[in-house]
Parts: sequence; C-alpha cells; structure tokens
Amino acid sequence: MAEPFYRAHVLTCAGTGCSASGSLAVHNAMEEEVRKRGLADEVKVIPTGCRGFCSMGPVMIIYPDGIFYCQVQAEDVPEIVEETLVKGRVVGRLLYREPESLKGLPYYHEIPFYGKQLRIALRNCGFINPEEITEYIACGGYEALGKVLREMSPTDVLDTMKRSGLRGRGGAGFLTGLKWELTRRAPGDVKYVICNADEGDPGAFMDRSVLEGDPHSVVEGMAIGAYAIGAQEGFIYCRAEYPLAIHRLKIAIKQAEEYGLLGEDIMGSGFSFKLHIKEGAGAFVCGEETALIASIEGRRGEPRPRPPFPSVSGLWGKPTNINNVETWANVAPIISRGAEWFASIGTERSKGTKVFALTGRVNNVGLVEVPMGITVGDIVYDIGGGIPHKKQFKAVQTGGPLGGCLPVTSLNTPVDYDSLTSAGATMGSGGMIVVDEDTCMVEFAKFFLTFAQDESCGQCTPCRIGGKRMLEILTRITQGEGKLEDLDRLEELARVMANTSLCALGQLTPSPVMSTLRHFRDEYIAHIVDKRCPAGVCDALVIAKCHNACPLGTNVPLYTSLIAEGRFDEALAVVKQDNPFPGICGRVCVAECEAHCRRGQIDSPVAVRQLKRFLADWELQQAGKVSLGQPVANKREEKVAVIGAGPAGLTAAYYLAKDGFPVTVFEALPVAGGMLAVGIPEYRLPREILDVEIDAIKALGVEIVTNTRFGSDVTLDDLLTQGYSAVLISTGAHGCSKLGIPGEEMEGVIAGVDFLREVNLGQRRSVGERVVVVGGGNVAIDAARSALRLGAKEVHVVYRRQRDDMPAHEQEIKDAEDEGIQFHYLTNPVRVLGADWKMTGVECQKMMLGEFDRSGRRRPLPITGSEFVIEADMLITAIGQVADLSCLPPDDGVVATRHGTIAVNPKTLVTGRMGVFAAGDVVTGPATVIEAIAQGREAAVSISRYLQGEDLSAPRERKVELPTEGLPVPEGEVPRVEAPRLDPTERKHSFAEVEGGFTAEMARREAARCLRCYDEHAKKRREIAKQSVPAGVR
Amino acid sequence: MAVSSPPITATVNITIDGQPVQGREGQTILEAAREAGFYIPTLCYHPDLSVRAACRICVVEVKGARTLQAACAYPITEGLVVRTSTPAVREARKVNLELLLSNHDINCPSCARNLNCELQKLARDFNIVEPRFQGERTHHEADHSTPSIVRDPDKCILCRRCVDVCHEVQGVGVIGPSERGFRTIIGTAYEEPLAQQPCVLCGQCINRCPVGALYEVDYTEQVWKALADPKKFVVVQTAPAIRVAIGEEFGIPAGTIVTGQLAAGLRRLGFDRVFDTDFSADLTIIEEGHELLERLTRGGTLPMITSCSPGWIKFIEHYYSDLLAHLSTCKSPQQMFGAVAKTYYAEKAGIDPKDMVVVSIMPCTAKKFECQRPEMDDSGFQDVDYAITTRELARMLRQAGIDLSKLPEEQYDDPLGRSTGAAVIFGATGGVMEAALRTVYEVVTKRNLPSLEFKAVRGMEGIKEAAVDLDGTVVKVAVAHGLANARVLLDKIRDGSADYHFIEIMACPAGCIGGGGQPIPTSPEIRAARMRAIYREDERMVIRKSHENPAIQALYQEFLGQPLGEKSHHLLHTHYTPRGK
Repeated sequence: MAEPFYRAHVLTCAGTGCSASGSLAVHNAMEEEVRKRGLADEVKVIPTGCRGFCSMGPVMIIYPDGIFYCQVQAEDVPEIVEETLVKGRVVGRLLYREPESLKGLPYYHEIPFYGKQLRIALRNCGFINPEEITEYIACGGYEALGKVLREMSPTDVLDTMKRSGLRGRGGAGFLTGLKWELTRRAPGDVKYVICNADEGDPGAFMDRSVLEGDPHSVVEGMAIGAYAIGAQEGFIYCRAEYPLAIHRLKIAIKQAEEYGLLGEDIMGSGFSFKLHIKEGAGAFVCGEETALIASIEGRRGEPRPRPPFPSVSGLWGKPTNINNVETWANVAPIISRGAEWFASIGTERSKGTKVFALTGRVNNVGLVEVPMGITVGDIVYDIGGGIPHKKQFKAVQTGGPLGGCLPVTSLNTPVDYDSLTSAGATMGSGGMIVVDEDTCMVEFAKFFLTFAQDESCGQCTPCRIGGKRMLEILTRITQGEGKLEDLDRLEELARVMANTSLCALGQLTPSPVMSTLRHFRDEYIAHIVDKRCPAGVCDALVIAKCHNACPLGTNVPLYTSLIAEGRFDEALAVVKQDNPFPGICGRVCVAECEAHCRRGQIDSPVAVRQLKRFLADWELQQAGKVSLGQPVANKREEKVAVIGAGPAGLTAAYYLAKDGFPVTVFEALPVAGGMLAVGIPEYRLPREILDVEIDAIKALGVEIVTNTRFGSDVTLDDLLTQGYSAVLISTGAHGCSKLGIPGEEMEGVIAGVDFLREVNLGQRRSVGERVVVVGGGNVAIDAARSALRLGAKEVHVVYRRQRDDMPAHEQEIKDAEDEGIQFHYLTNPVRVLGADWKMTGVECQKMMLGEFDRSGRRRPLPITGSEFVIEADMLITAIGQVADLSCLPPDDGVVATRHGTIAVNPKTLVTGRMGVFAAGDVVTGPATVIEAIAQGREAAVSISRYLQGEDLSAPRERKVELPTEGLPVPEGEVPRVEAPRLDPTERKHSFAEVEGGFTAEMARREAARCLRCYDEHAKKRREIAKQSVPAGVR
Repeated sequence: MAVSSPPITATVNITIDGQPVQGREGQTILEAAREAGFYIPTLCYHPDLSVRAACRICVVEVKGARTLQAACAYPITEGLVVRTSTPAVREARKVNLELLLSNHDINCPSCARNLNCELQKLARDFNIVEPRFQGERTHHEADHSTPSIVRDPDKCILCRRCVDVCHEVQGVGVIGPSERGFRTIIGTAYEEPLAQQPCVLCGQCINRCPVGALYEVDYTEQVWKALADPKKFVVVQTAPAIRVAIGEEFGIPAGTIVTGQLAAGLRRLGFDRVFDTDFSADLTIIEEGHELLERLTRGGTLPMITSCSPGWIKFIEHYYSDLLAHLSTCKSPQQMFGAVAKTYYAEKAGIDPKDMVVVSIMPCTAKKFECQRPEMDDSGFQDVDYAITTRELARMLRQAGIDLSKLPEEQYDDPLGRSTGAAVIFGATGGVMEAALRTVYEVVTKRNLPSLEFKAVRGMEGIKEAAVDLDGTVVKVAVAHGLANARVLLDKIRDGSADYHFIEIMACPAGCIGGGGQPIPTSPEIRAARMRAIYREDERMVIRKSHENPAIQALYQEFLGQPLGEKSHHLLHTHYTPRGK
C-alpha cells in the first residue's frame, strides 16, 4: 500500500535526554490524539533521534512550517493538535523564549541555539526515524556507498578522504584519509575496520546521539572505509551502558543486510562487508585503540606500547583501522558532496565541523555541531546562551577529563585542533563543560583527576600511582592541609605522568591539574596560604556560603538564626562584632552573601541585607540612637591619624578606639562619611542613618576634623612630627575619568561623582531638562535617578555594552527603568554638541560587539555611519573613578601603583613608609562599601599590632561561632519576604527612601528561611577529620 | 622464548648518546643499546618474556617523539637518535621509582630478596633516600596456602613478569591482574588462595619476580632442627641440576661445576650422609626403561611420558587428566631415593627408619609439594621429609659461614652417592630421554652404543624430536620443556596426531637447570651456561650409562631383585590423581 501524502509531520525527539524528560509519553499521546481526531492519513508522527537542545526537552518540530515547541508534556498534546494541526496557529506558551526579552520564537531556524550550528555528522539526527532505513535512504543515505562501489576505486576514495582534510574526531586528530591509506598499504589479506563507540567522558554524549539518532550514517561510513581499506569485516565497539544505541544499531545492521547494503556482494559489486557489534563493559580506557582491540579479543582492556600501530598489527594481529563514531558519520557526506565542499568548511588545518556536548553552567545545555574555527565564546554565549543567573563565566573545560580548561581570556580562541592544544586544552572527543564563579577550580581539577585515576588500567607506574598521589595532594589542598611545595610536587608528577605514561590516558590524566595550575594558580594559593576557598565549595574551608562570600566574613549564620528566634539584641551584637555600620550596609551593601546563598539554588536567597537593616532600624526605634559601646577607660599613649572619613577610615578608627588608641580623623569635606555621604543619594541612604552610625563611632572618643584637606591643610610629615605614631591614608577615589571626546569642556557637562557630591551637599537643586548620563555603574544610575528627582524631564542612560554587562546592581537598574529612565545600550557618545560653550545635545554612535576582552565581555566596536543625536542640555559622565594621589609628595616614601592607587602589602596594608598604612578605594580602586569596611578593619589590626610591636603578618583567622541549634528548616519552596517599596510614580519626584524595612514578624519569617547549610559543611568537616590519616600510614 | 641465536638480519644505524651504534633490524632500543654497552635500567623487562613496557623505568629520549619512550618496546629504525641519560630521563626514572616505593612494603632487611632485589638496586643507584610521595598504600594479606610458594602483594610492583611467565611460558595462567588503577592487584581468580587454584607450583614466577613479592616456602628451620637433634640420622640428596647452579649464589660464574664443593659443604653442615639424587636417577632409568620396553612389547599406553618433574605431574593432573595413563608409573628420582633410603639403606646401615630424616636439595619448588603427597609413604614413613631449594641451601651455608668457593672438593658417600653421566644429564631438558636411550638401546640390542650422545634431544628448542632404530624397531621420541610447549604435544596426543613412543616433559624452561628453586636471576644465557656445565659433567664421569652403575646393580642384587619386580612396584612406582581445572 502506498504511503498517504501527509500534509504535516510531527517530529518528536526520542533521544536519551528527551526520553528522560518524558518524550515517549508525548509521542504516544500525539499518535493517539491524531488517530482520535481522524488525522492519521494527514499527519504523520515520527520519533527521531536527538535534536540537541536537551535542556529544553522534550522538544517537538512540526513540519512543513518548522514550528518548534519545547518542554512539551503529554497534557499539551490535545492543544497542539487543535491549535497547530487543525487551526494552523502557534501555541505561544510552548515556544522557546529568548532569555533576555522573553520573546517567543516560533520557528526552529530562528532559535539562536541552532543559528551558528552547521550539521554534517548530525545531519539526520532529529529529522528521521532512526529505526527506518527508508527514511535514511530518503535523505540521500547509501548514495555515497553506491557511488563508491559503482564509480570509484579504493584509491579514489582514499584520495577524496585525504583531500577533504577530515581528522579523527576521537581526540588525537590524525588525518583520516592517511590512516586509511596506512591500513590499506599494510601487508595482509585480512583487514578490519572498527568503530570506537566507547564514549565515556562524564557529560559527553556525542557518539551516543549519532548512534541513537542516525545509526546508518555510521554503518555507511564504515562500509565505505572497508571498501577503501580492503577490509571484509568490521566491529562497532559500543559501551553496554548505551542500550538504546545498541538496539538501534542492531536494527540498522539488520535492515542494511536485508536491503543488500551489508553482507555478501553488496550492490552486485563483488565487495562484501560484514558488521558486528561488540559491547564493552564500561572501562574508560577501552576507548584507547589498543585496549579496545584487546577487549574485542576477549582480553583485559589494557593498552600496549605502540609502535606497531593497529594499522599494521591490530585486531588478532591483522591491519586494523579504528575511527570513532563521529569520524565515520562524516564519511558519506564527504563522498557525496565532494572533498572540496568539506574542505571549504573550517580552518586551514581543521576542516569540517565538530560536535560538542555543551554542559555545565550554561543556559542552553545540549548537543551542538559547529564549524571548526568558531570561537569558544561564540559557543558559550551565542549558542549556549551565556551563564545562568548573571554569574561570571570562569572557564570552559574541553576534551573531557583528559582535557584542559580555558579561562576567560581564551573566549576568542578558535575551536580547532591546533588552537585548543596551544591554549593548553584539547579537542578531545567533544565534551565542553562550562563553569562559573561558583566553581572551585581546585575541586574541579580534583573531580576529573578522581575520574581519570580511577579509570587507569593500572598497568604502568606513573598512571597507576602518580595519579593517586596527585589526587591525594589535591585532596589535602582542598582540605586546607596543603603546602606551597605541594604545587611543585604536583607539577613534577604531572610532568612525569605526561612524559612517561604508556598510553594517552595516563599522559593526559594530569591535564586538568596542569591547566588549572596554569590559569587559576591564585585559587590554589588561596586554599594553601589563606585556607580559603574563594568559590565557597570546599567543605573543610567553608563555614557557610554567605560567610565565605562576604569580604568581611560576616557571621550571617548566627545572626540570622538569632533573628529567627526573636533574639534581636543578641543578633545585633553579632553584627557589630564585624561591622560598625549595620544600618548603612543594611541599605547599600551589594550583598555577595545573597548572591551565593544556598537557598538561592532552590527558590530565592535569604534577604540577608534586609535582615541586617532590620536589626539597625530596630535598635534605633528602641533606643533612639545607636551604640557601639563606651569609650575605653585606660587610653593608650600612641595616637593614630586617619585621613579620610569614609567607610574604610571610620571602620579603622572604630576598631583602634576599641583597642584604646586615641584617633583623629581628618576629612577634606565639610561632612564625614566619604562616598556614603556624598556619593550615595538620600533615597538609597537617608542622612539620618549615616549620622547616627557616625555619632556612635564619635561616642567612642574618635575625633573627626572636617574641612581639612590632606596635602595642603595637613601633610604626612606634619602628622608624624606632631606626635602621631601611625597614619592611615583612606582618601577614597573621588576623581572621575574623562570621556575624551570633543565638547566635553562645555557648560552642562559634569562628572558623575561631582554631580552627586553637589546634590548630596545641597549645593545643587536643579538640573537640565534633558539629561544624558554616560556609564553603566552604580554612579551612573545614582546620577540618573538623582537628576530625575531634581526635575529633569527626560533622562537617558547611554551605555556602550549590553544590559547584562552593566556593573550596576540589578535592582538599581530595574528601579531606574521603572522610574522612566531611558536606556540606550550599545551606544557611545562621540561628541558634545553645542554653541557658545553651552551644550545642546550629545552625538552618539551605535556599537556592535566584537571579540571578548579580558573581563569576559564582548568588546564594543563602533558602527560607522550609525551616528545619531540625543538632544540634551546636561551630560553627566560616569565611566569610572580614580584616586587622587596629588596629596602625596613624590618623595615621602608612599609609592603609587601603575593603576594610580597606593602600593601596599595586600595582607598588612603597610605602605612604603614606616608607620604609614593605606586602606579603602585609594588602595583597591573604586570598590564596594563592604570591601572598604573590610580594609579598614585589617588596617586597624595592622596598626594596633605595629604600635604594640607585634608581627603584622601573623594569621588573622577569626573564630566563627555557629548556631548550635535553632528553629527547624521549613521544607520545600518558601517565598522570600519582600520589603515594601515606594511606587515609581510617587518616588521619582522626591529623595524619600525608596525601600522600606522589615517588621519584626517579617524579619523572623525571612530569617527562618535559612537552610542552615553550615550544618552540612560542618558535618562534612567532621567526616574529613575522621578520614584524614597521617601521610605514610596505611 | 628468545633462546635460539638471532637470524642474520639487516644492520640498522642509530645514534645513542651521540655515539654511532649498529643494531639489527627487529631489535628494540634496549637490545641494541645493551649490545653496544649502554646500560639502560629496566624493571619490568625480562629477556624470557614479551614486552610490557609497564614500569616506565627504561624510558629514553627519542628525537622527534613527543614523550619519552620505553626503550624495551621501541623498535629501532635507520637514523634513530636516542639519548639515555638526560635530565628529563633521570627525573622520570627517579619519580617513577619513588612512586613504586610509595606503594611498596619497604622492609628490606627482612625481605626474602634483600640484596638481590632489582628495585632495591635501582633505588640505591638513583639515590632515593627520603620518601617524597607518601600516601595510601594498598594492603592484602600474603598467601601462604601452598607448601611451595608465598605471594606477598604488598611487595608487588605490578611488573607482570609472573603473570606473563605463567601464561606465556607455562601455559598455566592462574594469576593475573584484577581491579583497576591504584587498586590493581595481581592475584588469582576471585582472590582465592593459590592452593585452591590449578597452580602447578613450578615457581617460575619466583625466578622472574624482580622483588620479594614471590618466594619459596622456607623449610630450612626444620632442617636445622633435624641436624641439631642427636637422635636423628639426617641424610641429604642433591638433584643433578644443583651442582651447576649453586655456585652463582656465592659469586661463582654461571656454568661452573661445584659438585665436590657441594658435597663438602653439606658434610660441614652436619648431614650424616651426603648422597646424590643422581643415584636414584640411574634407578629411574632402569625402571622407566623397562616400563617403556614392556609397553612397547606388551601393548601398553603409548606414547609413554616421563614422570620426573612434579610441576609437570601436577599440570597433567589439572589440565590433561584424560591422558594420565600415558604417564610412566615411575616415581621421580627424589621419591625413589627416599623410598630406598628408608628401606634398603636403613636396613643396610642398621638405622631405625623412624629416626631417619631425608632432606633433598632441589632446583624446584614443586618438589616441596611432591614430597608431601600422601601416597609418597611406601617406605612406611614419609619417604622424603624436607625438600629445600638451591637458594635455601645457599642460605644455610651462608648462615653456617661456609663459602662454597673456598671449599675443597669431596666425594659423595657410598652407596647412594654413586652415579653415572646418564644421571647428571637429568638436569637439562632432553637428559632423561638421552639417559633412557643409552640404557634401552643396550638392553634391547645387547650391543654397546656406538656413540653415547643423542644430540637431537639436546638444546634449547622448545620441542625436540628424534627417532632411534632399535634393531629394526624405530622408536620415535619427543622432548618438551616449559609447559606451554608440553601443551602442544598433549594436544597432539589428544587429537591422535602424535605418533611418538616416548616423550620427555620437564615443567621448567631448559629443564631442572632452569627450575623455580634455582638462583635468581635467570636468563637464556644463564640457563645455557648451566646446560653446558651439565654435559661437561657427564663427559667427565667414568661411567655414563645407568645400567652400569655398580651401586644400582648391587641394589637389585641385594634388595629389589629385578626391574619392575614386586618390590620395585611397591617402592618405586605410583599412581596419579585427576585434580580439575
């Protein structure tokens, strides 16, 4: 019976990923629904192989239009049939949505994930039913085999393969045509071809998808190879963990035999080829060709030394050609479409495409096939959709557990054999694992090393014992027991393993360690020297993720637990141990603690910042003032001068006063508080809060002298001769970078920090009607929103990159948007327009994104001819702040860095001059309030030690008391308690505080959301302590 | 086994450490370098075995290669440039040695291989004095389950020599690697005790082990105790192969005959009588020769196969038990000696056999098993009390402060110390066959042999064949040594393609001179030297045919009566037990 002419084809993905998400049920429901609606003669439902977009599974494509639905469940099927197949409409809720705009994209070809892909090996995957040879044939399958047997001699085939430039996709990248030729030339009548399908990398599923989605592509490729090489028999060595692949291969071989495409005298050509499947038992090392051969022969899967290579002496001692699945899948298209076509794709020395299994911290997890030469960044950002939750990209591991990682500076590296190798990674068979800032690179290296050394065959010394010893060293480092000489030892072991192991497994086992040591040595050193895991991963070194993320090491666990129990005064005491500014930080802290909160991985992070604010507000409400305690009764003699009354200086003054030192703070401005007072607008930080917290420091006996400019009113020499035993310079970064464009000197142009200072000091009460702000940081947003509040009719923010790249806090950007501020992304000012020194507008240029820069963001490049004008009478420039070091005479011993900051010992904050210290933005460059407070505290410790003749560089570990018990953790998802916010229409006309605080009930409810992840860390620490056995003891 | 002289092949010019070297096609870097006098250290490499390249100690720099290459595995090609001692090479060797030592039970002074350990020597050469890579160690209990061999995995460095000799040379294969990575261990199937495995206890693994992971079960304390007991009359017998090998334990070059010194040494240790297994070798020839003639004339099971080698006996009992009827029923010379000593000699010397202790010095670990077989008690007592190896005897001599090289030559005691040239060649492959033919020929033809030497059954060829015309009856014989070679002959018998009448099989390569109890190391060269010595010893004997040994003639006259007689049958013959694979 002839097939009916179907008007629509519904392709349901039956790959492993989608099957795991329930695609089989979707497929059955679709068939059932189509039958029930009487559409069986009009609509054909086809199960296909993997379409690659696994994170969106189960996926479905409906032809002829190519409508793409994702995350389809069986319940959705009736609606799809009714809407799309009957009425011809798209079901909007099942479309793929762009991550940023949330715009639904109806068609397969529009989705960026597929946009930069080019599918050769995966040509049929997801388009045909892999269990039907007719579908493969309908797509041009076995034409290449026919062509070869009818028109080409084996030499012609070898020639075509060599000219195509195809290199082995299993990892080593040997020229396929040349390998075939070597096997053909090897003496002997009996020869074999083998397909290596022993894919075993964690997270890799390239070969699996090809075998499951298009098994005939491998069968045809092997038949062509066998003809060219002179082999009569072939083996597909497939791991037994791939039952679906084996099932479909068996069907494919059977069908090919039935069609006369395998077996005796194929297509009457006289060429015979028999194909067998061998199931491997799951040893990773059997992916090594000599071990694979041993395994097929029934021996233990162990590599043997080469030469002789399998092309000379392989399976049962006969010449044998081994290629991996993807290599074989590329053969038929090369024959059909010609070597020149294939060679036109890719780079000079890496032709064609490569399939990658893209996994890890990337939005679009799945299987992709890309032309060689595409950059790592293109794959991660354009195809992969970037990193979820606006996290920082850290590295991408290519080549699986035997590959290496590429850091942010490698995003422009082209993906081809030679570029990856020279960058310290490898192509491998195509695993690509993306990691973000929350990944500890030491732990990451340890993960792969654990795998590789576990999979060692145990035959040769360096691999068997070297890998184990490296793992032990890494384990010690992650447990905080590492020594600096361990790094030398790791490198020595890595060198010897790489240099002397018997096979590639052993030679490449150290690669992850080598590459992380190369690119992330600072993380190793942080573990060893500072006993700190910067990513907050290593149990032995992490008390809680919030505590670990805070530059100050705030004891969030304890005060959160106390708030939940209603013990607010105790909670406040805990906060004040670390931080004299709870009210300020409770309002303006960037709250790294929340960004890393464990609960954030379940629903949303605990509102730690608001909890701190609650405590401060509660105290003020209860007592009418803030107290940091009483002045010390017995004062010490040594006086300390602090220059600059910003958060760093005041924090230092606070701790020094607590230690009994008389402290005088000199401030150039008429008010104390530094950037807190003159940088942050009142609607974010009410002046009253700042004043009461500074008053509390004054109450400890700290003297603050305002209107006294360092360098002119008072100098370093003055202070040191006037009886100050130590001086702390904490003058901040109040200078502003220039745009460097024509017209910048015109009236109406003002620097962002200058503008905010004028506003905050009450010196400026009006702005222009149309204001343009340039920049993407918090200063830019603060300036824009302040301008709006001062009466500007229109405020435009011009930023040269994209929204995601903005350094400003997400909430601030959103607030600004809500208030009606207009954002112009990928836009840069080129000229200030005006007449008679008075500006009338800003000429801007549109930008496009180029290569990635060192920060991991794409570099904006001007688009010529895209200029346009924003009419404006005011331009606020907020593209960066700098420290002003003009206060320092050139020869007083305090030295500047090339970044325009003061050079200090990063631990002790000692400058080049005896008794002089520096802290805050003047050391770090513009940073956050909490970092300034942390620096102030460390400076105080150093000064105190200095004045008492103690060792400044001695460890500064602080004991963190954890809650021993507390309220039980609520189960499941619990919504975050949101503080009230003023309505945008109301707030944009006043400087009233936008964000409200928690009530006591809200605070207790929010604090109770804490997952107490520290209990888990503590438990693991106890386990580690139990396990760790002194070295050398069994 | 690479024992025959290399065929004439093309010359290959290579450069080693800047020096031009001429190698031969088919050689590895290691072979070419050693021939040219460059010493490249090795650990897993052994000249008897196929190349594993597992230890990575012999790595060298090969110009153009990405990584260091194992010299033992890398074939030389014209123009190859090799450097054998660069900083990278030395670092690699040292680190790999340190890694091996980091998972090694380092107890050198109390190790069976102390001062004769390849790892110890390399550690000393590379100045490894402090352990830098300490960490977890694998631990498994040592296997003391057999009477012959101890396996101590904590000393094992996984070189695989034992595995390969067991599989390749002996065709047995009871040990192999299991587990993966750091946990890899060489062991038996399912980690069963060796005694429950079809191990033939040949001890070839011990001879190949570079360290102390394999050694013989030591019985020297029991021997010392017997020697010290005034109530015990302790007699000792020495196997033919001891006299050409034990000298090596005292720094004497391989292939030196020390028969007289051996007798002197034993006497100084305090043995009451110093006898010779060669005596009972002659006795074996008489019995076995007549057995063959009987089978030939009366239609017994043919081919008849020799039964002197206990490793071989255990092998056929495990693997070819369907062919047990082919075995000669003769006990081995060790056991014939014990049975005769505790009956004929005890009576003659007037000693109560219950007070007699028979100690045998054997080149063999399987002999320890053989003497404990329950059926070996035809004298009314355990025929042989203790079988100790060449190495154990050397230790006893050293303990007693006896340096064999300084001893005068002395004679064996009468009568069980009298022997012939036919007996001494039992020590080499083909020797039993040759000795038997010397006797059988003369018994059948009643004529003197024109030439004593049957050259066709001599040498290192794995399987040797010959045909002997016994006055019109052509007797076809075959000789095999190394059990993998034995398998070839046995398979032929099984499939009916073997037309031999008489087969000699020795378990060990080269026969007893290559036995598992012999001095370590072993190599084709060392075994060849011992073999030459054996035939020299034969040549210098006055009597070279077993049936001409006057002590044997007296034994038959005074005690046994006739060959294959009732007493012989009772004392000198045995039966075999199928043991399962």
